[in-house]
Amino acid sequence: MPKPVPVESLLRIPRRARTPVVPALALVGIALFALEIGSASAQGKLLPPEEAFRFSARALDARSVEATFAVADGYYLYRDKLRFATVPADVRLGPVELPAGKVKEDQFFGKVETYRDRVVVRLPLERAVAGQVVTVRADSQGCADVGVCCPPNTQSVTLTLPQAGAPPGPLIDATPPRKRWFN
Amino acid sequence: MNDDSPARPSLRVRWPIYVIAALLALALGVFAFRHLPAPAPGSRDSGPLLAVSLPDVDGHPQSLAQWRGRLLVVNFWATWCAPCREEMPMFVAAQAAHGAKGLQFVGIAVDDAVKVRQFAKEIGLNYPALIGGYGAMELSKTLGNSVMALPFTIVIDPKGGVVLTQLGPVQPAQIERLVADFL
Repeated sequence: MPKPVPVESLLRIPRRARTPVVPALALVGIALFALEIGSASAQGKLLPPEEAFRFSARALDARSVEATFAVADGYYLYRDKLRFATVPADVRLGPVELPAGKVKEDQFFGKVETYRDRVVVRLPLERAVAGQVVTVRADSQGCADVGVCCPPNTQSVTLTLPQAGAPPGPLIDATPPRKRWFN
Repeated sequence: MNDDSPARPSLRVRWPIYVIAALLALALGVFAFRHLPAPAPGSRDSGPLLAVSLPDVDGHPQSLAQWRGRLLVVNFWATWCAPCREEMPMFVAAQAAHGAKGLQFVGIAVDDAVKVRQFAKEIGLNYPALIGGYGAMELSKTLGNSVMALPFTIVIDPKGGVVLTQLGPVQPAQIERLVADFL
């Protein structure tokens, strides 16, 4: 049986390592890492639409769903490109009020409104019943500040409407975020 | 307890150096992977693109092979893409200035013919606009547009080699450079 090694001995930096080389290497590593994070958020790698505009939803009660778009840093969504639908079709979607966006002048389309960061929309459901399973479909389209646009994209979330008096259902993501270490 | 004798450092006392070196190597590897230019898949072969045939705004099929031998700039765009619309007047000017020398722009619209026709009229488009619909997005993916965003541009030199594959707006200086190099 090997003798257990005291933790404090492992944490001691040997005298040999106390040369400027190790801190210098560590600094270079940290600098590269910071550059890496910086480039990822600024110009860096572009995201597929379902990751740039992450859709999620939760059932508030049997008559309403709260839909959310989490817009990635450096991206924006067009207000007039947001569309919602429900499946089955007999759970009719009532009038949807989209929050006001930031007004932007577009050469071709005139005044357009855009959303950044987060958009929350309440979707009223008509003829839905408690306990029913409903799929909410959202169409969206947006662009990145670096000068590219994502094509129109459809995402959906399937949720169960809570029973009367029950608390709102859990927030469900349309696409679980994937780990992308090397992209 | 170990001793930090510089004469015979044990493996245990050297571990911080190994850990830092390993982390540094990892950081460098990730950095190089992300920032050093990597050849886009199939980026040297213009064959698949030149084999494409798509309808123009009047519905007549147009094969890209008809522009073989020219400096061909194939631009994937859409009316819903503001950065695409913004760069197109520059393409119109370059087509007018260098068309006689052999520069040929061709737009492939990820869009429908009605909107394309309207926008073409608005900016006085002087080069062919082909209607690719959303299928054109998939086509651009096979040509290196992995995130499927727009604008996406491929330039084929008169000998048939792909000399530029770019996601995001093309700068006027890039076009001037290509004209100087290949025409």
